[in-house]
Amino acid sequence: MTATDVGHPRTGTSGGGAMATCVFAVLRTGGRQAPALTPGHAGGGAVGLLPLPGGDLQAVVQDVPAADFTQEALRRRLGDPLELERCARAHHAVITAAAAGGAVVPLPLATLFTASGRASAALADRRDRILDVLDRVEGRAEWAVKVHVAQHAPAPPAADGKDPAAAPGRPGAGAAYLARVRGRERDRQARHEALLRVAGRVHEAAAAHAVAAVRRTPHGTAITGKDRPQVLNAAFLVDDSRATDLVAAVRALGGAHAGLDVHVEVSGPWVPYSFTSLGEEP
Amino acid sequence: MSDVRVDLDPGNAARDLVSLVLTLIELVRQLLERQAVRRLDQADLTPEQEERLGTALMQLDAAMDDLCDHHQLRRADLNLHLGPLGPLLAEHPW
Repeated sequence: MTATDVGHPRTGTSGGGAMATCVFAVLRTGGRQAPALTPGHAGGGAVGLLPLPGGDLQAVVQDVPAADFTQEALRRRLGDPLELERCARAHHAVITAAAAGGAVVPLPLATLFTASGRASAALADRRDRILDVLDRVEGRAEWAVKVHVAQHAPAPPAADGKDPAAAPGRPGAGAAYLARVRGRERDRQARHEALLRVAGRVHEAAAAHAVAAVRRTPHGTAITGKDRPQVLNAAFLVDDSRATDLVAAVRALGGAHAGLDVHVEVSGPWVPYSFTSLGEEP
Repeated sequence: MSDVRVDLDPGNAARDLVSLVLTLIELVRQLLERQAVRRLDQADLTPEQEERLGTALMQLDAAMDDLCDHHQLRRADLNLHLGPLGPLLAEHPW
């Protein structure tokens, strides 16, 4: 989900330090300040600007050692959490710096071409789409909204079916067990519905201030902590002038709802990664 | 997630296999319980059937406890993470 199929360095040229072109983002030429330049990926050349055909767009690019970016090398490097973090941070830093001067279309991590000519040809093919996306995100930013719910005391102690009065064989014990299971199941469903309602309310409150929204699969408890299930993981594309309204509206929904302890996290402004896909993904 | 590695130590492999099998049994057991609740809600069980179904489920639950004890596993340890689909078993069987 990181490397794209836009282009890959030719294998077989691994000897002799062949270089590939890594593209970070596309932005308009002129107008705003020239984007600040950050170091980019380790081992590569200087990050620079590549003018694209037409004259009104430019790409932020870096020459990187092709051997570090073959499919196999990428699979190995991006499978290593530390190395992945390093790559992602370098990528994000370049894009954030470029975005300081105005709207950008960030490209996926490790978008590679065998040569700068192929990069500009491929991006020229997507010119219309890139211009649409730039228009869409101009003056807007991405805000992330996450909702966690803290767990309260678990099911009542009798619900595990171990109270001595319910020993198998006693008359009514089976029916009593079944009734307990039903109670537990109803609690579970009621809770699940309450969680969905809370998530829905926060999402609606944020969406009222946004021009677009995406919901992602909430992180599992392996990431959030056992007792802190995430119930909403969403991103919103927001006009810069409405960002403070969105933050206030969403924060106001934190606290207690129907016995749930709701934690709302808002972060931003981010480069609108979630709203700038050039259509490679379905 | 790359800290999760396949451990080919024979002792651990057997244990992982047991834990996998118990996880699947636990999944089926939970599904049976939910199905039983559905039957109960539909009110198409006679009291005698309710009693028998409840007793069977209670025994199944106790058998799970015994199996887990025997293999020194806790119920909470039984789960499979299905990546973007989340865990196989609800992590909070409230």
